[in-house]
Amino acid sequence: MSKRQLAMVMDLNKCIGCQTCTVACKTQWTNRNGREYMYWNNVETYPGSGYPKNWMELGGGFDAAGDLQPGIIPNIEADYGVPWDYNYDSLAEQNLIDGKPEAGWHPDQSPTWGPNWDEDEGTGTFPMDNYFFYLPRICNHCSNPGCLSACPRDAIFKREEDGVVLVDLDRCQGYRFCIAGCPYKKIYFNPKISKSEKCILCFPRVEQGLPPACAQSCVGRIRFVGFLDDEESQVHKLVHKYKVALPLRPDYGTQPNVYYVPPVDTPPKFDENGKVIEGSDRIPMEELEKLFGPAVHDAIKTIRAEREKRKKTGKSELMDILIAYQHKDMFRLDHNYYADVAKKKGMQPLPLVDERYVAGKYTKPSSISHFKVHA
Amino acid sequence: MRRVVQFAAVLSLAASAVMAGTVIDAVKVKSLKGLKCGTKLIKKNAKFYKVEVYPQTTLHMNDKKANEINKNAKGKVIEVAALTDGKQIAILMRWPDKSKDIFSGYKSDIYPDGYAVQFASDASDPQKLPYIGMGSDGRPVAIYLRKAYDIVYEPNGYGDVAHQVNPHNTNYFGKELKKFEKEVKKEGLKTYQRAFVSEGFRSMTEIKDNSINYRTDMHYVNKKGMWGGMVVRPLDDEYAKPVKGEYAIAVAVWDGKELQRDGLKRLSSWLAVRLPGASNKALEKVVTEKVTGDVANGKKQFEANCASCHNNRDFHNAPLYMAPDLSNIGGQATAAYIKESILNPNAVVVPGYNRNAHPNFSWYSVDKKGHRTSTMPPFNFLDEKTINDIVAYLQTQKAEVEK
Repeated sequence: MSKRQLAMVMDLNKCIGCQTCTVACKTQWTNRNGREYMYWNNVETYPGSGYPKNWMELGGGFDAAGDLQPGIIPNIEADYGVPWDYNYDSLAEQNLIDGKPEAGWHPDQSPTWGPNWDEDEGTGTFPMDNYFFYLPRICNHCSNPGCLSACPRDAIFKREEDGVVLVDLDRCQGYRFCIAGCPYKKIYFNPKISKSEKCILCFPRVEQGLPPACAQSCVGRIRFVGFLDDEESQVHKLVHKYKVALPLRPDYGTQPNVYYVPPVDTPPKFDENGKVIEGSDRIPMEELEKLFGPAVHDAIKTIRAEREKRKKTGKSELMDILIAYQHKDMFRLDHNYYADVAKKKGMQPLPLVDERYVAGKYTKPSSISHFKVHA
Repeated sequence: MRRVVQFAAVLSLAASAVMAGTVIDAVKVKSLKGLKCGTKLIKKNAKFYKVEVYPQTTLHMNDKKANEINKNAKGKVIEVAALTDGKQIAILMRWPDKSKDIFSGYKSDIYPDGYAVQFASDASDPQKLPYIGMGSDGRPVAIYLRKAYDIVYEPNGYGDVAHQVNPHNTNYFGKELKKFEKEVKKEGLKTYQRAFVSEGFRSMTEIKDNSINYRTDMHYVNKKGMWGGMVVRPLDDEYAKPVKGEYAIAVAVWDGKELQRDGLKRLSSWLAVRLPGASNKALEKVVTEKVTGDVANGKKQFEANCASCHNNRDFHNAPLYMAPDLSNIGGQATAAYIKESILNPNAVVVPGYNRNAHPNFSWYSVDKKGHRTSTMPPFNFLDEKTINDIVAYLQTQKAEVEK
């Protein structure tokens, strides 16, 4: 356990599956150097195979007794999908006048699988009871990480300061037991350097006052970032005060620190004559319970109650939070805290890049001399 | 008929008694310069000794597929030789492996073949050699590892960011692109060789400060279906030195086809490597010691005293992570080590591969300073004969050897 825990909340009611987070993450971290196939952030369609394929069935995590479970290491071609490229080169180089020009462009391989291979497929029969929703996933920066527990080299560690789970590339020997141990399959093998790599919660950004790239770029504003022990943070309020944000697959026993606001309102089903079945839910509660545990019932109840309250009284803190008016309220990155940590370690605190999200338990807005809110 | 079977069993035991633990004579040559796998120098001089290597089963790893493949893994007979030119020592190995598994390409679930040679840093007290797998607290080992990688890159690209991008992230086309790709390739390491110091599982740390001087080579002979491997290092350095002209070494091989890496390997017992003219009777005795005792009584005593925590080939009742699995202890541990562990379990406490993996079954407790105390009580109340019989029985605990 770390001293403090930086956490993220994702509101599934507002995820539109646009993959802007995926692209932000990929261009920032994984478009090069052996990481091409990795998606530290991905948005998958649920129900669906997910990424990597059928990750929920690949083992890992802990049983009720707390023992690490064996798992399977996915195959790049079959389970992740190898990113293909196009013949830009030959198109640029070919002689269009003399030679026989190649028609169009084509991928350099015939892929058989990839992330979002089954995007938007969902399940059920249209129009009676078909449904799906989007499930964005990053590393959960667990309090009891399966990857860390599986590593025979002590190469994976959880940062004391903010609970970010990282791989020490000097110690990692590329044995991949971490991949078997992570029930979310959110740690990846880099075949170029033969070591494991994973989501780093954009810690270099966070340390300089920027939220993780996926969170900042989210057009639906579904992602909240802050410290769980910071009672002013919206993350704290959603997770602990209102208890509407729940960890994914808590039954894996890793104590994830990415939380989801479950989908609340789903349209009713139709009967065979195309008539609305009153009171029915397209997304079966059993599925939500499988994903988020039994607490999902209360979470949904709370959200519905607060919404009624808002309708009647015009007031509801929870609704205000979930509307996500301002980035500066959604992200509380506690800059002074990081600066103090750096100073205590005898390091130079990194310069602040963005002043909007500096607030936090140890960072009062007035304590930053040049603090100002951008319009 | 029964007598015949028994007689055969005794015979096979006798045969393994000769094999168990080997003293290897290092052959003096003029120079080790240019020594590589397959060079004439080896063919002419090297004297190969047969060494048995057994699957490492002390710890169970968490890779489901690999565990299935390695469930009934057999031992292997490999060959080890040593050469010296008076300044350096070369350990040569060759071992059968039907498939040549090289890690190459954009893959996530294949593993390379490989080998390692481990030197006990200090073998001055042969009764207290380091733990065979990976050394132990206060008893370090130096490990030289070589794996069959096609090409592997440094994570930080030696700080060369420009060459860490993909071809299509560059502005290059045609000839320029080919040139770029060539430059990228130049930064790759063709030779995956590493040296480590280790004082037990999880403590293995790569030596990266250029303080270690060594080289390795690895070569596959298709016709014979065999790998050859070698490690050349100075006779004496800060990581290991000979005691009375002898080293305690151990060798391990990995088979990529069996998804082996890390603890999933085949490992020898301690071997003594004797420099020309040297004599270290004490070490030789320890590595070749075959305890004669009442094996049947040993088994009975094991069941009564040990089997509630330790699994082995005959007993599988203990919870999986209660204590080290002793299924191959006879192929890897010396009699002295087994005896020491019975009488003083705290002398060497094998760390679990990860303390978080099985928190309910830790076979040791760790204090604030990181010292491990074994959960096992000393069994010094057993009489000498009983201990002797248990040791004799445990020495029979090893996998069948592949023919």
